[in-house]
Amino acid sequence: MQIWNWHGFFIYLTNRYIFEGAVTTLWLTAFSICAGFVLGGALALMKRSRHQIVSLPARFYVWFFRGTPLLVQLIVIYTGLPKFGIRLDVVTCSLIGLSLNEAAYLAEIIRAGLNAVPPGQIAAARALGFEERQIAWRITFPQAMRIIVPPLGNSVNGLLKTTSVTSVISMEELLRRTQLLVQEHFMVLELFSVSALYYLAMTSAWDMVQRRLEHYVNKPYARPTSSRANAPANAQALPDIGQDAR
Amino acid sequence: MIVFDSVCKHYGTFQVLNNCSATINKGEIVVICGPSGSGKSTLIKCVNGLETFDSGQITVDGTRLHDPATHLPDLRRRIGMVFQGFELFQHLTVLQNVMIAQRVVLHRNKAEAHERAMLLLQRVGLADHAAKYPVALSGGQQQRVAIARALAIDPVAILFDEPTSALDPEMVAEVLAVMTELAQAGMTMMCVTHEMGFARQVANRVIFMDRGEFVDDLPAADFFDGRCSDRAGTFLKRILSH
Repeated sequence: MQIWNWHGFFIYLTNRYIFEGAVTTLWLTAFSICAGFVLGGALALMKRSRHQIVSLPARFYVWFFRGTPLLVQLIVIYTGLPKFGIRLDVVTCSLIGLSLNEAAYLAEIIRAGLNAVPPGQIAAARALGFEERQIAWRITFPQAMRIIVPPLGNSVNGLLKTTSVTSVISMEELLRRTQLLVQEHFMVLELFSVSALYYLAMTSAWDMVQRRLEHYVNKPYARPTSSRANAPANAQALPDIGQDAR
Repeated sequence: MIVFDSVCKHYGTFQVLNNCSATINKGEIVVICGPSGSGKSTLIKCVNGLETFDSGQITVDGTRLHDPATHLPDLRRRIGMVFQGFELFQHLTVLQNVMIAQRVVLHRNKAEAHERAMLLLQRVGLADHAAKYPVALSGGQQQRVAIARALAIDPVAILFDEPTSALDPEMVAEVLAVMTELAQAGMTMMCVTHEMGFARQVANRVIFMDRGEFVDDLPAADFFDGRCSDRAGTFLKRILSH
């Protein structure tokens, strides 16, 4: 038996079945990050509340979903809910599991971003007659985005790969389809290398988006000339942070 | 225009504001001075509800602060405020800073808000910097933009909370020049400041505060010509001695 089959490698690299698995991985990620962001935003607001009735459930949620493996959460949703008469298909279960899990992480990221907005900025908006809701949308949230975007990029990168966990409930994303082909054709190394290349391509594409996003949110804070004597010290553009936390 | 009627506030047992009463009329320039911790900043922040007070009443342009019917944002949009730390919105350009309240609060259309903002930036001498972000400006320039931003909502009065205290000495003059121009144009101004030169030349009245009390409330000329209380005299001697 050959050690490495180039022919097989290229066949699988252009294989439609694998390609569609990668597309599935992409939309699983896209949906989960969006839903997770909305839910995470709500949790972050709840956690910031002065009333324990509001903040405690959010704290419990984050504690629970960050403290248990996604694998377990998915299996509970997939096999546990039908026992209460709720029967959902694999795709729905995957989307729910990923979104709920991601929301817990994003809640902490968003909360940190909101806390980083200086109170003076909010006082200035109040003094101009802004309503609290207008302050949130026009001042707090845009300024928090600068703090949120770098770790949010990390989450997207991580999630692209974490979606593979849904293969345990037989969600046919990239890794699951790779494994199915491996069971048929036994070209283990070639097939997993192909899927690794797909993951690399997707994370690299995200890196480019991430760089643009960071440039965009940092633009107001980047000083045109580096030697400005009396600009505030905290106005430096944030440095890039490492790309993988998982 | 602004009426303080027996305003009191305390943190625990510490009396921050003690029975403060005064009336600031339309077109008056009133300087509030006093040692640090005397309650000046707290007092000025009470006027637009950024700080609360325990008892008494403040009435601004006919609207009472301690009144359940008063919607604070409605009251605030009639008073401008300039902060010690400028507090320009960091994520917006200079032009957007002067436009945003006109758009969001007063619902002016874009063209109108733009035109008004450019006029105000010209007035404070910064029209050339309209497209820059606040970080690209010096402290003095940022404070002048902050004054333009406060003027953009067409306030009936402006509150200044130590507007020059965070500035390098050479930038104090440019901000005071803008404030003097405003005063001459007839704006009602309440100004917490240690700039006694400005107080002497521009203010109509000086209120001297110490330990939460209005110790003196005198015409500026009288205050500086030795008709002030002993406590104010000691304070003046201390800050003018160097």
